[in-house]
Amino acid sequence: MLDALLVDSVVRSIQTGSLYALMAIGLTLTFNVVRLPNFAHAELITIGAYAALLVSMGISTNVPVILLAAFIAAALAAVLSHRLVFRPLERKGSSIYTLMLASFAVGMIFRYILFLIVDTYSLFDKRIQVPVEIWIRSTPLILTNLFFWAVPTSIVLVLLLTLLLRGTGLGREMRALAGNFDLARVMGIRVERVKMLTWFLAGGLAGVAGALWALQTSVNPTMGWLVILSVVAATFLGGMTSFVGTIVAAYIVSFSENTLMQLLNYFLGVDFGFKPAIPFIIILAVLLFRPDGIAALFQSIRKR
Amino acid sequence: MATDRTLTIRNLHAGYGKLTILHDVSLDIAAHRFTAVLGPNGSGKSTLLKSIFGMATVTSGSIRIDDREMVGVPTEAVGAYGIAYVPQRSNVFADMTVRENLLLAVRTLDRHARARLLDEVSALFPLLNQRHYQRAGHLSGGERQMVAIAIGWLAQPKVLLLDEPTAGLSPLYASEVFATLHRLRERMTLLVVEQNARSVLKWCDDVVILREGALAYCGAPDASILYEYLGIQIDPRRAPVVQSQPVALAREAGGGADLKTVTHEIERIADKLATSERRSA
Repeated sequence: MLDALLVDSVVRSIQTGSLYALMAIGLTLTFNVVRLPNFAHAELITIGAYAALLVSMGISTNVPVILLAAFIAAALAAVLSHRLVFRPLERKGSSIYTLMLASFAVGMIFRYILFLIVDTYSLFDKRIQVPVEIWIRSTPLILTNLFFWAVPTSIVLVLLLTLLLRGTGLGREMRALAGNFDLARVMGIRVERVKMLTWFLAGGLAGVAGALWALQTSVNPTMGWLVILSVVAATFLGGMTSFVGTIVAAYIVSFSENTLMQLLNYFLGVDFGFKPAIPFIIILAVLLFRPDGIAALFQSIRKR
Repeated sequence: MATDRTLTIRNLHAGYGKLTILHDVSLDIAAHRFTAVLGPNGSGKSTLLKSIFGMATVTSGSIRIDDREMVGVPTEAVGAYGIAYVPQRSNVFADMTVRENLLLAVRTLDRHARARLLDEVSALFPLLNQRHYQRAGHLSGGERQMVAIAIGWLAQPKVLLLDEPTAGLSPLYASEVFATLHRLRERMTLLVVEQNARSVLKWCDDVVILREGALAYCGAPDASILYEYLGIQIDPRRAPVVQSQPVALAREAGGGADLKTVTHEIERIADKLATSERRSA
């Protein structure tokens, strides 16, 4: 009995962890390059999910097409929020707290615009028209096509982003902006262009993650908001500045929410209603005991 | 002396926000010379460089390079006018390797120009050849300073501005830095803010002396002038020597020899104090 439950929870942990990684890495990117803890990231995820839903209803049920549409829709929404709200605020010299509050507001505006549209066209709790197929069944392991879309897509996208950051001129410029903003300006790096591309990438990744998330559940305007705490927990735990840390942390959060929860339920009888508290506990624990997150842990291990 | 002017500053008033630090500074910097900017802490040396680079508030006056006006040009566009700036602190990308730092500096060039310049960098900065794949943040102070100067040099500017390139370095590294700058002078004009007046005098062609935000002297490092403003006595036939080291150091640093290691922030506070003293005087 526990075998089957455990295997199932591990599968879910890996699948959800991959999506958390995709969402969290965009958040880390915006935080470092644009210097904004962007809570509207939640709505970029939702926008990706709805773009995926609409494409699957009207245009195509081909998964790559759906993911591409989700990428573009969320990337454009991200660029729009930068141009209309965050860039004007930055030019006024707003503090990081003002920007963070503004990001809550932007998120709310996006969410309620979605509510209006969804209400008008009755799009609540719709499912994407991609059929679920079981690809691997060998008791107790069951893997569906959704697993094989979510996990490899996330891993490939995270690898591509890493290659971009490490091996290309644009990636170096993004890291330069993240590492030493003043020197980047002195060296004539076109700060505005790099920021726009960062928004585009971070938004697009959130959109793809939203679409993959939507493949396994029903779509509604609060789905991004409900998942953002886990994603924020992952970026905190990852140390805010490290991409490797963020990815590792995304899986840790996901394993805590799924496998650990399953074990707690099985052995201690903890109710599954406790699950949404897990990201809060992780955030509090990081703030209390390891404010620098996993990245600092890596560094202290390397120094030894 | 000024055969070919590169940088012309006229009646410059500049500071930070409402605080004015430089008062009516006019200067001509000659091309292909190594000019040292000297003066006690708080005299506005760094502010002079920052106003050229669009990082200070210029209230009035003009800064021209080859007769093109620089005032009002945003920092990220100044490089296009043929000027590069090496800040005193945080002047490399610490999380990136030395090679990545250098690649960022040549990012706009085509492949051939890039390869040629990177080859020249290894010849000019031999210290860096063993360090290409190390993180810039893990280098020693002198090596990091070489990376910062190399980044500035790679922009191939007409004028290279350096803010205290030897701050915090051992004497050995400091003279290595000066020797390198001396070599670079054949290809570009150098304007170097220096706290360590005695050591830069062995290498520079001209000096600019600032005092309380105003120009005190501009020209050849004349012995009587240096003694008057900086308390340094030099023998024209030999390398400059200090008559009484503690006294000269104290005068030079405005009261404390350790001050050359202070950060820009502290210098700015000193700048503020100097200005408010001026006002109350």
